[in-house]
Amino acid sequence: MASLKDIKRKIKSVKGTGKTTRAMKLVSSAKLKRAEELAKRSKVYAQKITEMIDEIALNISKSEKSLDNRFFKSVENPKVVDIVFITADKGLCGGFNSQTIKKVNQLKDEYEAQGSTVRLRAIGKKGVAYFKFNRIEMLNEIDGLSSAPDYQKAASFINECIADYLTGKSDKVVIVHNGYVNMITQEIRVDEVLPVDASKITAKESTGSELELEPDDDDTLLEALVQRYIEYIMYYALIDSLAAEHGARMQAMDAATNNANDMVKSLTVAYNKARQEAITTELIEIISGVESMK
Amino acid sequence: MNTMKLEIVTPTGLIFDGDVKMVTLPGKEGEFGVLPQHAQLVSLLDAGLITIQNARGGETIVAINGGYVKVDENKVSCIVDGAVLISDESGVVAEKLEEAKELLQKAQTSDVAIATAVGKVESIKKSL
Repeated sequence: MASLKDIKRKIKSVKGTGKTTRAMKLVSSAKLKRAEELAKRSKVYAQKITEMIDEIALNISKSEKSLDNRFFKSVENPKVVDIVFITADKGLCGGFNSQTIKKVNQLKDEYEAQGSTVRLRAIGKKGVAYFKFNRIEMLNEIDGLSSAPDYQKAASFINECIADYLTGKSDKVVIVHNGYVNMITQEIRVDEVLPVDASKITAKESTGSELELEPDDDDTLLEALVQRYIEYIMYYALIDSLAAEHGARMQAMDAATNNANDMVKSLTVAYNKARQEAITTELIEIISGVESMK
Repeated sequence: MNTMKLEIVTPTGLIFDGDVKMVTLPGKEGEFGVLPQHAQLVSLLDAGLITIQNARGGETIVAINGGYVKVDENKVSCIVDGAVLISDESGVVAEKLEEAKELLQKAQTSDVAIATAVGKVESIKKSL
C-alpha cells in the first residue's frame, strides 16, 4: 500500500500532465483550423493549373504530336524508385508517424521484390530519426518543413527529384503522406507523381479562338507547367499532412486528457481509502491504549 | 466600357480577383499588354510587375516572381509562385514595397528582368 504522501504526489503529477495535454489539444485545434484554411486557399491554384495543363495537352494532341515527353513516359519495370515521405517534426500524435513509416517500409519491400532500387527522401524529423535508428540510408532529408510548409522550400526539395527523374537517375517518384480526411480520421495517401499519368488529363474542346503560345513551343511550356504542377502536389501534400498531424494530435491529446482525469479519479479514491484506513488504525490504537490502562 | 476578368493565384491563395480594363504583364519574351477580347494565349511570365487598369479607374500593381498567364477573350488567369499586392485604389502600401523587392530579388530568373522590376519598385517608392 502506497503511503498517503506518495499518492498525493502522484495525483499532483497526473493533474499536471492533464493540464499539459489539454493545452496541447487546444493548440492543435487552433493550428488545425489554420492548416485547413491554407489547404482551402491553395485549392484554387490547383484548379487553375490543371485547367491550363489540360488545355495545352489538347493543343498538343491537335497538332498531331503525341505526348512523348519524358514526364509522361511510364516505365514497365522501374529500376530506381524515389519514395518521398512526410512525417511530423514532433511526436505525441498517436499513430500518425508510425503509420506513414509502416507504409513506406511496405512500399520499399514491394518495389525491392520487383527488383527496383529504392531511394528514400525524408521530410520531417520523426521519419528521419526512425530510418537513422534502423540504419537505413536516406538519399535526402529535411526537417522543419512539415511543421511550417513553405512553397519555395517544398519546390526546391521536389525539384531535386524532378531533375533526377529527367536525367534518368530515377524512373518513378512516389509521395507518401498521412492525409487529412476529417477531424478524427487520417488516411495514408500514396501519390505517384512521376511519370505523370497522361490518362488523367481530360482535355475538353474549347470554343474560343485558337490558342497562341509564347514561347512558341508546346513542349517547353508543358514541361515547365508539369514541373510547377508537381511542385504544387508536393506543397499540397505538406499542408494536408500538417492538417492531419494536428487532427491526430488533437485526438491523441483528448484521449490523454481523459485518461489523466480517470487516473486522478481512481487515485483520489485510493487516497481517501488510505486516509480512512489510517484514521481507523489510529482510533483503534487510542481505544486499545485507553482500555489497557483501565 | 469593355472590361474583362482578372485573377492572380498563388499556391497560398488568391491575390487579385476583379474586373479590369487592361493589364500589362511581364512575359518571358518581353512585356505585353492585354485588352478585353484578346485572342487566346498562354505565356510564361518572368519576375516583374503586373500593372492593372481597374474597371472603376485607378491602377493596381502586383509584383510576381514568375509563372504563367492564360488569356481568354474575357478572362485572364495568372498562375504565379509568389505575389505581393503593392498598391490598389486606396494608394500604395509602403511596407509592401520592401516585401515586393525581397520577392523579386529571390526570384530565379534573369538578372535583367529583376533589375528592371526592382528599379520600378524603387521609383514607386520615390514618388510617394
